[in-house]
Amino acid sequence: MTLLSVQNLRVTFDTETGPVQAVRGVSFSLGRERLGIVGESGSGKTMTGRSVLRLIRPPGRIEADSMVFDGQDLIGLPEPQMRALRGRRIAMVMQDPKFSLNPVMKVGFQLTEGLRQRDGLSAKDARVKALAALQAVQIRDPERVFHAWPHELSGGMGQRVMIAMMLIPEPDLLIADEPTSALDVTVQAEVLSILDNLVKTRGMGLIFISHDLRLVSRFCDRVLVMYKGRIVEELPARDLMQAQHPYTQGLLNCLPRIGGPRTPLPALDRSQAWAQE
Amino acid sequence: MIEIDTLSVTFNAAGRLVRAVENVSLTVGAQESFGLVGESGSGKSTILRAICGLAPISGGAIRIDGKPVAPQTRAFARQVQMVFQDPYASLHPRHTIDRVLSEPLTIHGLKTTEGRIEQALTDVGLPTSFRFRFPHQLSGGQRQRVAIARALMLEPRILLLDEPTSALDASVQAETLNLLTRLRETRGLTFLMVSHDLAVIDHMCDRILVMQHGKAVEALSREALAQGAMTTDYARTLFTASADRLMG
Ligand SMILES: Nc1ncnc2c1ncn2[C@@H]1O[C@H](COP(=O)(O)OP(=O)(O)O)[C@@H](O)[C@H]1O
Ligand SMILES: Nc1ncnc2c1ncn2[C@@H]1O[C@H](COP(=O)(O)OP(=O)(O)O)[C@@H](O)[C@H]1O
Ligand SMILES: [Mg+2]
Ligand SMILES: [Mg+2]
Repeated sequence: MTLLSVQNLRVTFDTETGPVQAVRGVSFSLGRERLGIVGESGSGKTMTGRSVLRLIRPPGRIEADSMVFDGQDLIGLPEPQMRALRGRRIAMVMQDPKFSLNPVMKVGFQLTEGLRQRDGLSAKDARVKALAALQAVQIRDPERVFHAWPHELSGGMGQRVMIAMMLIPEPDLLIADEPTSALDVTVQAEVLSILDNLVKTRGMGLIFISHDLRLVSRFCDRVLVMYKGRIVEELPARDLMQAQHPYTQGLLNCLPRIGGPRTPLPALDRSQAWAQE
Repeated sequence: MIEIDTLSVTFNAAGRLVRAVENVSLTVGAQESFGLVGESGSGKSTILRAICGLAPISGGAIRIDGKPVAPQTRAFARQVQMVFQDPYASLHPRHTIDRVLSEPLTIHGLKTTEGRIEQALTDVGLPTSFRFRFPHQLSGGQRQRVAIARALMLEPRILLLDEPTSALDASVQAETLNLLTRLRETRGLTFLMVSHDLAVIDHMCDRILVMQHGKAVEALSREALAQGAMTTDYARTLFTASADRLMG
């Protein structure tokens, strides 16, 4: 079943030196599955994710032939209806938790705000739900974190709080932008299993943005490979290590390997031709 | 060249003692490249910081060329320099690259010439025009090159590298590792390098020390690592978890 279908998405920034095209004609669809988006930094992964929520700030603008989520075209949707979807049915974990948690509000307030305002829960019920969410992302001392200020959290802790906050409203679609980059491998595995569980048991759709090809090939079902704002290859995640496109192969080849030669690592060929529309 | 002899580092964190490093010994020969691996929190960075006098040593000794280290001295800075993981945090945001690179020279009362700064940029593969830029005008990989250039300004013989490519894309990581290897060869540098990525350590280092919970678990040659010939359970676990990083 298709949850999201994006046709010919474009994101353009109007800058002093002319328009910068961050996303150029991206099309993809997503069921209740784990879709990975990989590519070098600057390739347009974050802008693609934010576009689905229509969270591109000026001077950036979004265009698409269509962007259908659960039967509604998000492109023409009036802002109040879009706002009702955001956070509730489509949620996004931002790349840098430092910029997405409000620095002047305690974690607990931020976790319960939506529950109280949107869902009309009592302060007590909201608190119980928030603490459970913190526990679900393997935070060992949820009470302490609930009463903490964002600056008192480590990078990994902040990342998990963000994930907890996004999962509280039980969204149908979660867009996770480099959600585990700040995490240690062991914690990373725990967070991935939480996300995985939500996809399997609740049928959530997941867009998993990462620059780590090995991680995506292990964790996702399908992968889009982006280069200079375009999708150059789409393939099943398990085939990622045997990718056919020379750009994807280049990304894999420049990784060092245990027992590999000591010769210089191959440089990535950044051919202009692959960026052509 | 570097001798670490039963080093212990203990932090006092709000009354609680954190034994970050316990009885760790290692030696790094001249022009050798030595790697420290282990999960986060295992004490790798603390060892590098202890060498630079930035961690409270509670036992053991650190010697360079047979002499106890004196991190506060100018001579030390001209012998040992460190490169950190996060090139965003380690460069002053309001200083031009020119200033970032000339500062070590100024501090040591050395003359900064235009030519010297331009050569430093060229040596790390950056255009000389970058002199007039600020860190935020550079990509992550370019910033890490600047951090490496800065570390090399005083022509040290030893570089301590703390996860120097962990914040970078695979392609930029490859370029940075190639740069480090080339600099080590041309300048005869000695590396003590930290990474949580066994493949990066394998590519860069001749010998490896696996750490866990502040303790040395197992020392391995590069050959032993490649063949999976480890004897401790923890080193084996780390190796097994890195199966997708094997040549193959
Ligand atoms: N405010 C802006 N003005 C101009 N270009 C921008 C702006 N914000 C982002 N971009 C461009 O958008 C492109 C894609 O960025 P992004 O989606 O963040 O990449 P990724 O997440 O893959 O690293 C980048 O190349 C960047 O130059
Ligand atoms: N300034 C400090 N105060 C208290 N504890 C510290 C401090 N620096 C490091 N630690 C602790 O020392 C241990 C080792 O940390 P670190 O050397 O940074 O590990 P690694 O580099 O292997 O990830 C960790 O438990 C860490 O929390
Ligand atoms: Mg991004
Ligand atoms: Mg460290």
